[in-house]
Order: sequence, then C-alpha cells, then structure tokens
Amino acid sequence: MAKAEKFSVVGQRVQRIEGFDKVTGDSQFIADIYLPNMLVGKILRSPFPHARIRGIDTSKAEKLRGVRAVVTAEDTIKRPWGAFFADQYILSVGKTRYVGEEVAAVAAVDPDIAEEAIDLIEVDWEPLPGVFDAEEAMQDGAPLVHDDKANNVAMTMDIERGNIVQAFAESDVVVEDTFVSMPQWHCSIETIGSVAEYAPNGKYTIYMNTQTLFNARYRIATALGVPETDVRIIQSAVGGGFGGKSCDDNNALVAAVLARKAGKPVKLINTREEEFLAGCRPRVFMKINVRLGFKKDGRIRAKHIKVIADNGAYSAKAPAITGVAAMRHDTCYKYSDVKTEAVLVYTNKIPTGAFRGFGNPSAEWAVEQAIDLGAHELGIDPIEIARINAAETGYVSPHGNRVNSCELKQCLDMAEKMMDWKSKRAGKQPNTGLGLACTVHVSGKRHFGDYDGSSATIKLNEDGKALILSGEGECGQGVHTAMCQIAAEELGVPVEDVEISRADTDLTTFCLGAFASRLTYVSGNAVKNAAANVKQQLFEQASEMLEANAEDLVSHDGRIFVRGAEGKSVSVSDVARARLFRHNGAPIVGSGSFDADSVLPDSTRFGNESGAYNYGVQAAQVHVDPETGQVKILYFVIASDCGTVIYPLGAEGQVEGGLSQGIGYALTEGLQIDEGKPLNPNFSDYRIPSMRDMPPLQHAFADSYEPTGPFGAKGLGELNMDPTAAVISNAIFDAVGVRIKTLPITPEKILKALREKAALEKAKT
Amino acid sequence: MKKKVTLTVNGEEHEIEIEANRLLLQVLRDTLGLTGTKEGCSIGVCGACSVIIDGRVVSSCLTLAAACAGKKIETIEGLAEDGRLHPLQQAFIEYGGFQCGICTPGQIMAAKSLLDENPKPTEDEVKEWMSGNLCRCTGYYKILEAVMAVVNNKIDPDFAFRKREQTAKIQSLDVYKSVAKTN
Ligand code: FES
Ligand code: FES
Repeated sequence: MAKAEKFSVVGQRVQRIEGFDKVTGDSQFIADIYLPNMLVGKILRSPFPHARIRGIDTSKAEKLRGVRAVVTAEDTIKRPWGAFFADQYILSVGKTRYVGEEVAAVAAVDPDIAEEAIDLIEVDWEPLPGVFDAEEAMQDGAPLVHDDKANNVAMTMDIERGNIVQAFAESDVVVEDTFVSMPQWHCSIETIGSVAEYAPNGKYTIYMNTQTLFNARYRIATALGVPETDVRIIQSAVGGGFGGKSCDDNNALVAAVLARKAGKPVKLINTREEEFLAGCRPRVFMKINVRLGFKKDGRIRAKHIKVIADNGAYSAKAPAITGVAAMRHDTCYKYSDVKTEAVLVYTNKIPTGAFRGFGNPSAEWAVEQAIDLGAHELGIDPIEIARINAAETGYVSPHGNRVNSCELKQCLDMAEKMMDWKSKRAGKQPNTGLGLACTVHVSGKRHFGDYDGSSATIKLNEDGKALILSGEGECGQGVHTAMCQIAAEELGVPVEDVEISRADTDLTTFCLGAFASRLTYVSGNAVKNAAANVKQQLFEQASEMLEANAEDLVSHDGRIFVRGAEGKSVSVSDVARARLFRHNGAPIVGSGSFDADSVLPDSTRFGNESGAYNYGVQAAQVHVDPETGQVKILYFVIASDCGTVIYPLGAEGQVEGGLSQGIGYALTEGLQIDEGKPLNPNFSDYRIPSMRDMPPLQHAFADSYEPTGPFGAKGLGELNMDPTAAVISNAIFDAVGVRIKTLPITPEKILKALREKAALEKAKT
Repeated sequence: MKKKVTLTVNGEEHEIEIEANRLLLQVLRDTLGLTGTKEGCSIGVCGACSVIIDGRVVSSCLTLAAACAGKKIETIEGLAEDGRLHPLQQAFIEYGGFQCGICTPGQIMAAKSLLDENPKPTEDEVKEWMSGNLCRCTGYYKILEAVMAVVNNKIDPDFAFRKREQTAKIQSLDVYKSVAKTN
C-alpha cells in the first residue's frame, strides 16, 4: 500500500529535540547527577563462579572512617526476583552463582574510601564445582546452579504446526547444519548506574538510566517488598540502552538498600569491567540446529529448528528470548509446516538477557545461513529463493502472527538494485562474494501479561504550546523527537511548539518502556490519541469563537480554520487562553491510550505477538584475503520496511547503528571465558567497531504504510541488527567456499577452514 | 598528600587542592562540575573523556590533573561562545551525528583538535583520526558526515536551533570537594 497521506511534520528532517544539550555536554546522564550529601556506593563481587558463603564479616569495613553503610543480604528481605522467573537476589543469599555476582556493598563519602572498605569485608568462601557448558549442565549428576531446577533446565519448548514428518518427506532437497552464536555485550558507552534516595516516610526515589521505568519500578518494589508507589523512578538521560538497561540487574536495588541504611543519597555507577561482568545482561548463548526442506522450485516446505540456549546463572528475559529465537523467523517467509524445540539451561556464567534483536540475531544467524545452503544446493540465486518465499501483506504465520503490512518483496528489489546484485553475481571476481539475508521484527510484543499498550497526557499551555507527559523513556534513540512530531502533526502545530517531559513514574502515566521496537508504533499511537483529544477540546472552544461547527474545523501551522473558508481562523494560543481565562475556565489537558490489536500467545505459543511486523533485507559484497583470512566488506546495502518514516535522521541512525552492532557481532565481538571467568571485560580486548571498520553503505526505506500505525509507522530499532552476521557469513561462503558456523567469524577461523578445504580437495585428486 | 594547583579550563583559572593521583577527568567532573566530559572505559580506549590540552587531544581518564598545571585545557563546555554553537556542534545537530549523545562531547573535541590543526582533512584522514572515539549508537556515518560538512563548509548559515531541552535539571551540587574559583 502506498503512502496515503501528505504530512507537514511527520517525515520532515527535523532536528533532534535534545540536540542543543547533547552537543554542549549539558545533557544530564546518570553520572552527572550530584545530590547534596550524596555518598558513593561500591559493590563486593564474587570472585568465584560457584561458591557457598559460610559467613561475611563486615565489622572492619564498618569501622573505616568515611563509611556510612555496609550491606549484605541480611539487610534485604531475601525475596528472589526476575523478569520471568524469580531466581535472583539483590545480594547473594547463601551462595553465588557466577563471577561478578553482588555479595555485599558499601556507601562512603568518596570513591577511594568505598574501595578500601570493600577490601576490608571478609567473606568465608567455600568454592563449589561449577558447570560452564549448557549440554554438560543437562547431564545427570552435573552440579546444580539452582537446587530446584533439575538438570539445570529453566524451560523447554516443543511446538509443531502442520505435519513435519510428512513435510520433509515431500521435500526435494533437505539441508541441515548447526550454528553457534556468542553472547554479545551492549557496550553502551554509558554504563548502568543509579542514584537512590530514601525518605524516612518510606519512599524511595531512584534516578536511573533505565529504558523501562515502570517495569523497573515493579521489579524493584517486588524485591524490596514495598508497594509500587513507594518507589519513584526518574529517568536521567540514557547513554545507550539496546536492551541492556531494562532492569534485569541489581544496580538500582543495591543503591536503594544502601541509601536506606545510610539515610543519605547513594550514587552507584558500574565501572566498565563491572558492566561486562554483571551489568547489562549480554545476548543469550545459543547453539541452533536447523533443518530445512525445499521443493525443487525453491519453495520452503519444512523447517525444524532445535535451540540449546544457555542463560547463565539467572534467567532474566531469556525465556522470552529463546522463544523468539525458536519462532520469530516463521513470520519472515511463507512457512506451512514447522517444528521448533528449545531448551533453556542454567550454567555458572554471567546471566544473559535482552539485547537489540532479542533472540532474533542468533536465529537469523542460523536460519538465514541454512536458507543460503538450500539456495546453493538447489542452484538457485539466493535472492530468488528469498523472493519465492517472502511474506506478503495478509500473511498469517503458522503461530498466528497476522501481517497487516509487508514490503519484503519491495525491499528485495531495492537491495538488488542498490547492490547491482545481478551484474556483480555474473561478473564474480576471485575471493569476492555476495551474501544476503531477510529479516523480520515486531513493533511491540505482548508478553508482559495481556497488555502491550502505552498512554500519554498532553497539556496545552496558555501560550499554545503543548507538553507531552509520557513514561516512555528516551534511551538515546530519539523517540521523543518522533513523539513530538506525531503530536504536532495531529494538532496541526509546528514541531517547535511541542515539548516532552522526562519520564517519571510519579508524574507520568503507565508505560511499558523501550523494548521490542515498540515506541514509535505503540507510544506513537498513544500520543496521537492524546493529541486528538486535545484537538477535540480545542475545536469545541474554537467553534464558539469562529461561529462554526467543530466538525467543520481544521488546524495547521498553529491555527484553526473553518474548512472552505480559510480566511476565518484563530490561533491555537488564543483558543487555549479563551478556554482558560474566563468564568469556570479550565486548561486544556488531553489523554490517550493505545493497546495493540495483538493476541497473547497461548500455552502452545499460538497467538499474534505484535500489532505490526517490520521487514528488511541486507546484502553485502565482501573480499576475503586467502593469505590472512581478513574479511573486507566492500559494499553494504540495506532496505527497511518500517512503514512511514516519522523522524528521518533518527530512522537512518537506527539502521546505521544497527549495522555497526551487527558487524561487531559478526566479526569481532566474542566472550573469552575460562571456567566462568570472563577474560576480556574491557574495551581493548572486547572490540566493538570503530569508524574505520564501517563499510561503504547505501540504504533506503520502502514505500510502506502500516494501517494500524501512527500515520502509517511501525518499528525499526532492532531490525538491522538481526541479519547482519548471516549476511556476512553468506558472502564469505560465496567468496571462498568456506562457511564459519561459530561466532565471531575471525581470520583464524577462516584460515583454518581454507586449509581444511584445500586438504580435502587435494585428497580428492 | 594534597597539593595546590591552578588549572586553566576554557580560559578560566581554577585554584584547587587535589591529591597527586587525581585524574583530570575526576577533577573536571567532581571538583569543577564540568560534567560534559564523559567516562566510558577508564583505560584510554573509548575517547568519551577526550579534552584538548595545549592543542592536542588527550584522554582525560589517563591524565593526572596535577600534570596539567599551567597548560591550556579545553572541554566541551568551552566551545559555544555567547550562546553561539561551534560549527562542529551545529553540524552534529544538523546531520544527526549522535543518538544518545554520551560519546558526543568526546567526538566533537577530537574533531576540533583535528580541524584546528588541519582544516581540510580528507575523508580518510578524518576516519583514521576519529577511530579513537567509539560510538555504539550511530554506526559513525552521520558523525563522519557532520565533520565533513564543517570541512566542506556545508553547514547551514541560517540554521535555527531548537532551544534547550525543557526538562528541568536534577539538582546539581559538588559533592566531594568545594570549588575555589579565582580571577
Ligand atoms: S574514558 Fe577515557 S578513553 Fe574511555
Ligand atoms: S551517540 Fe551514543 S555512543 Fe555515540
């Protein structure tokens, strides 16, 4: 469906609303908050992957001058908490389950004293045997990470739609392989932190750089054992989130416990090393076996996927992430018969969790390579395989996902053209190859109960300017600018006349927060509805002033006009004032809500997980140096279907930033771990892409309109992280005929594979 | 052992008493309240803490504050003059050279030190130079575009800035040390 409307604010290259603050260093991130009498917190972390705590002696630390509080689990109610399973504590109770786990903490007047006090805490440890591999963890007799989880299994899934045995029997070509993905850290340049205050009346105020305020409030209140409204979360500027700042860690909780005990505000900011060890929860480790059956003409007939996911010591959001890895891709192509089996396992490693893509990058890494295997087996151009199978508007996936808008085929055409795919393929040069993958993502996900909604309030000031009050946190992606544009478009005012509040659980209405690429779509709809409500009140007032029916009014450029008699108009500010400054006057305040028309998946995970689905295609041309194994990406193209683009600078940034994280995931970012101890918890040994690592890029947005989206928009944030690793691996295979199946794809792995290939070919001759 | 030093930051002299081991980053942020300079890695890899000392960009997380006495220190707070943004600052807004903005002060200071010395670098020179400043959000394309826009004089002379974010600041006070400002 083509763009239905013309917009005056939506889609314009407006500047970021926080721009001035960002470029002057004035934006207040969590570390930039200094409260009167504030103390500094510091955490004592487990040096062991698995150990019993026989006792903790804090007396020496307490006596140190400048120390104001020392806390252990004894200062908490010892109630476990967690996003899906209540399996973790604020501070270790009885034993620790991974290197870096929070055992005790101090608050002191300065960081040096806090550090010194940490060294004075004496823990009587009894190291226990640990388990570090998911498959070993499931064996009988393996050490148990949690006593109540037999064989360390956190969750299993086994779902079949259609008849998988028959579908494989009817396939002409069957391919199968296993792909291993690695944990990946968010590496937001700002680490997780919080500043907590406790008032003697029982109220906690916590400044956090979280991307999900109300979820954070719920979890924090649960773990502290207080009512939700006794916890107030105020969002600071957030220096990158990507899922890592969605409150699955203990930082804010430890700060809160310290603040209560010390009676003073406590600032607790993760060091970079702490962030790697126990801060943001990295992507779940996965080993994925994929089996695909194709008809001769390239149609996919059957798909069977087996996922072994290792969530480390605590589950956080891993159960949902595993579900996404096992099923999400079935909305990308027109599948009929699918089977998916998954097991989620505990080990004594860093707990994993939500990272941009939420299981989808691990799955697309596997499935999109399996599709490529099929294309080679069938001798069909991979882009044609994608075309033959691509989902379309109206598609309903085997799991019930209903697709209202889908421009995947258009994206394929765009990518083909931008890459000059056909002629590059025809004129293939040695050691140079092309790779491609398709991707699908959601715009919100119904999984925290039967609600995937948002709400907003808009107050119209007497000068005619609107202020949006929203609890949906800006986490750096620029969504607040998009929300202002949506409100401005609906109200018919310039975008400069709309502002938006800081998210604050006491002052803004309930919002689920930034995850699942949901904000532009879900909160955009809520803001649009709130603006429509304001507009209705404006028109009622203006109809008196213009002596016309409210139904006959229109607004644009900050004025309200009588349709067909554009000479007759009144400004929004005059209307706002007229409504307020009179007998029985009242300010104009509007509210709006939106809950997506999705269906909560049932016990067999059948439902419709999101209100809208976003699609995209990425393609790469790479060169592989056969002497060194070095991969050089010569050209990269991306086509994205996110419906209407609301905020172009932001949307383009999401695509480009997603790609850089995808390239890191593919080529350089990998955990080195020994017996549960991470060996590279810093930016020099864990390498994220820098400016010189980014390839020449061309990207574009499909002409697309999502009927349920605000002005036709849907989500985008995660889409372009998802397929990149598979794209690059497919291109490497096309270039030199070897396929690397374990992330990251290092030059060493390529060289080894090339040698093995050469040896095999030699043996044949 | 505390030591008296005078630091000249953005043209302003500050006489302070600090421990000999205090890092410039800590002193700028905690003592002088100049929180525009950010900490990302603490080991000199990410560039978030970049400041310019006597014309050269350095990582303030690796620089002892006491060693900067008598030198000219420039931070992000000193770039805008009389409310007029520096061309790089404008370009970053115009071309969307940031998302979360935590790396931005460092990116801008690094770019400034390059352009101060070489106002017409090639795109490859900019890429090489800026590769010491990590950004996890943008994929760098728009940062490069912003810097090249300044190099090629492609910033809009009539660009109207949206004014400051309306959000009130959370109360800001010095915690660890008091500040003695002279001059
Ligand atoms: S904080 Fe100084 S270079 Fe990263
Ligand atoms: S803009 Fe977020 S790290 Fe660069």
